[in-house]
Amino acid sequence: MDSIISVKNLTKTYKKVDAVKGISFDVEEGEIFGFLGPNGAGKSTTINMICTMLKPTAGEIIINGFNANKQKDDVRGSIGIIFQENTLDEKLTANENLKLHCRFYNVPKEKRDPRIQEVLEIVDLVDEQNQRVEEYSGGMKRRLEIARGLLHYPKVLFLDEPTVGLDPNTRAHLWEYILKLKEKEGITMFLTTHYLDEAEISDRVAIMDQGEIIAIDSPKALKDQLGGDIIELSTEDNQTALEEINEKFDNADVKVEDDTIHLKVASSDAFISSFIKTLDIPITKLNIRKPTLNDVFLAFTGRKIKE
Amino acid sequence: MEGIIAIWQRDLKKFFRDRARLFGSFTMPILFLLIFGGGLSGTMETMMTGNFGEGSESFNYVEFIFPGIVAMTLLMTAIFSAMSVIEDKNFGYMKEILVSPISRVSIAIGKMLGAATVSTIQGVILFLLIPFLGLSYSIYSLLLVIPFMFLLGAALSGVGLLFASMIKSTQGFQLIVQILVMPMVFLSGALFPINNMPFWLDVIVKINPVTYGVDVMKKIMIDVDSLSATVRETMGLNLTVFGRQVTVFEEILFVFAFAILFVAIATVSFKRAHA
Repeated sequence: MDSIISVKNLTKTYKKVDAVKGISFDVEEGEIFGFLGPNGAGKSTTINMICTMLKPTAGEIIINGFNANKQKDDVRGSIGIIFQENTLDEKLTANENLKLHCRFYNVPKEKRDPRIQEVLEIVDLVDEQNQRVEEYSGGMKRRLEIARGLLHYPKVLFLDEPTVGLDPNTRAHLWEYILKLKEKEGITMFLTTHYLDEAEISDRVAIMDQGEIIAIDSPKALKDQLGGDIIELSTEDNQTALEEINEKFDNADVKVEDDTIHLKVASSDAFISSFIKTLDIPITKLNIRKPTLNDVFLAFTGRKIKE
Repeated sequence: MEGIIAIWQRDLKKFFRDRARLFGSFTMPILFLLIFGGGLSGTMETMMTGNFGEGSESFNYVEFIFPGIVAMTLLMTAIFSAMSVIEDKNFGYMKEILVSPISRVSIAIGKMLGAATVSTIQGVILFLLIPFLGLSYSIYSLLLVIPFMFLLGAALSGVGLLFASMIKSTQGFQLIVQILVMPMVFLSGALFPINNMPFWLDVIVKINPVTYGVDVMKKIMIDVDSLSATVRETMGLNLTVFGRQVTVFEEILFVFAFAILFVAIATVSFKRAHA
């Protein structure tokens, strides 16, 4: 498959701080690309540079064949952006917001109305299109923003924390819409989110930390890389337990996070019974599970993703 | 082009939906007309007739300040309309505009035209007061002054755009504007003649675009020729810069250049802006 976004040695330096340290990656056409990282990792800086809103210190970004630093308007016309915060004009109706967008993006006059109805249908807002946006609920506003982002048929849709601040029910719905969109339109999606369970829908994820991309692969491959299962346990004295585990099980991959000990093993089935027998300190809580993206994140960055 | 019109129409639409703003902005000019017109006209007119006698009976102070009050309304509305830039920033809409392929100069021009239109409309609505103030301007002169009001509104909104691009909060903007607007009004000849000012004040008067705006509006609206030379002199109706009297054409050119300069500055600020 072809790359729709190609980033090479992208660097951004503020005064003396390196926010983005020469990263390179490609996003393939039609995929959902998850872009993860803790706050301050340089995610927003990277996205702003890709979206032509920030001038890189060095490096090159090609989107849809256009150079983001030189052919800004072509790049801007090729992408749609759903921002983290509301960017609708609340004093106008949904329909008026969409019309303005068509004009900003030079959608031909005769195509405007059919397209507006088309995107409204995708997000189920046809009947509410003549209401002012200020009367909308949070979920409806998000849906409208997604609809607006699609109006000019972008090649890439950037979703920056699209579900932040929404209740779980609305969040689930929104993902349905987004997935429907991917199936129907085959649009490439560039997604950032704090909810790592949501990032599971990505075809590939990149994890960024301290200005560098430290991992990039499919969620499954990343989780497989961690290998095996994760055992989480609490004991009466975690510190002593930790010493004991290190002493009795050579090369044990163990970490203490809050008041839980995380233990990574190749296969829990064979390990668990001997483990429980061996440990002298009484166990108060025990949980065995498969690794999630959260564990991947923890393993790579040594931190949990912060809200 | 489409982008300019879209931005311009959006601001107009929002203006007409905001009734409070529409009516609220009339309080200040009406207040000024009442206070200055009612309070000063007796004194001013007696002074004229007393001092200059013949030829000055026809002098009407309210007629003299009315174009100034209209210019003041233009100034205030144009600058305050530029506040929409700050509102758009705060409500996030500016991002939607900035990430779109509209050229930055179109954004600046669209915003400027929006503010100019809104202020011209406000100014023209003030014309409705003319019969109630016992004034009479020729219809022709009123029609002639409207395009110039639009130009002046555009130039002055440029000042607003400049501050709107530098200030983040609407409160801060209002504060700065209030500090700025009053001297611009008082040192423009809108309300009283600006002759024989101390040098440093005279410099401000001469670089103040409102001065030229007010002067052009007076020259178009008031039948200057019917006034005696002394009255013209006293009421500052022959503005001189570097010791020579400026023509209407030069003044319009100055206002136009001022508008272009500020649209260029605004464009640069939109270019730098990254939402």
